[in-house]
Amino acid sequence: MLAGERWYEGCRGSLVGGALCLMLLASCTTPVPPPVPKQSMFLVVPDPEGKVGQITVTNQTGTQVLDQPRQASTVQSANDAPSPPATLQETEIKQIFGEALAAQPTAPARFILYFKDDSEELTPESELLLPEVFRTVRDRGALDISVIGHTDTIGTRDYNYQLSLRRARSVADLLVKQGVDRKILDIESHGEDNLLVKTGDQVREPRNRRVEITVW
Amino acid sequence: MRDLIVITVAMVLVLVLSVAVASAASPIGLVKVTEGSATVQRGDETLPARLGLALQEGDILRTGADGRVGVVLRDDTRLSLGPESEILIDRFAFAPAQGRLGLVVKMARGIMAFVSGNIAKLSHDAVRVETPVAIVGVRGTQFLVKVE
Repeated sequence: MLAGERWYEGCRGSLVGGALCLMLLASCTTPVPPPVPKQSMFLVVPDPEGKVGQITVTNQTGTQVLDQPRQASTVQSANDAPSPPATLQETEIKQIFGEALAAQPTAPARFILYFKDDSEELTPESELLLPEVFRTVRDRGALDISVIGHTDTIGTRDYNYQLSLRRARSVADLLVKQGVDRKILDIESHGEDNLLVKTGDQVREPRNRRVEITVW
Repeated sequence: MRDLIVITVAMVLVLVLSVAVASAASPIGLVKVTEGSATVQRGDETLPARLGLALQEGDILRTGADGRVGVVLRDDTRLSLGPESEILIDRFAFAPAQGRLGLVVKMARGIMAFVSGNIAKLSHDAVRVETPVAIVGVRGTQFLVKVE
């Protein structure tokens, strides 16, 4: 492996090294080695939803904005400006980046289940959503499931912390009953501190009485 | 002179310890896809990048000639590496309520596919990918990088 391949590790170490030099009141004579020039290519592609975003490629000699599908810019070295955008063919992209694209994970799936007033009982609508939650957990081979309970602002903060913990636990129990390993469950209670709909204190708000599930 | 050395050593120790404490942070994401030789270097430790491994700020992801790895970060950012690739997740902050948002990935070599998540959505200048020759500012969403 080339020394230059750990260019960022050198940067990290320099903080400690710099402090040491200062404290010894000696002049720090070892200059930071310049990064080894390494050609890089940057390319914008539509995301899995088909949307094209925007990136900027910048170094000390110039900037390029890429915001059209399959637009690429290459940079020969830190002292060369990024090339003007060129459009690549799908086949070229597959050839160069196929292996990285093949390892792309799916985004986490998120669900919100709502509860009856001052209760850890689901609303009838949310009961109906359960089969889809269970199916998603199964189909994805979930590695980690976050279950976070919430309340509205009726009652004291302490009471609501306990209530939203009961809500989160009741959802966790449902998942375990479906065969989910408890070890991959991450149960949290946010009480009234993380409102979905902002309200004042002592406000009944059905949309805040919820458990948020994230399936990784 | 001896006092100076003792003080220096003590101060360096404090510095090193504080860095160590800062790096023992909560998980920032997890390994979701892994194939062939893929590792996560955390400090002096090198862990196999097994499915479900929790990631931390400061982790270095590395793949061998037959390796691939795909990770999801807490803000839904998705990163995947092809063979012979190496990145450092240098900074990850996703606490919108506290106004702390940032993601810096340093890429040393290889190929990477990147789909930005909520940090890029919430803050326009918070997500950055650095290579030895240039810096990418990320407004979203999917892009590819190759470092030779």
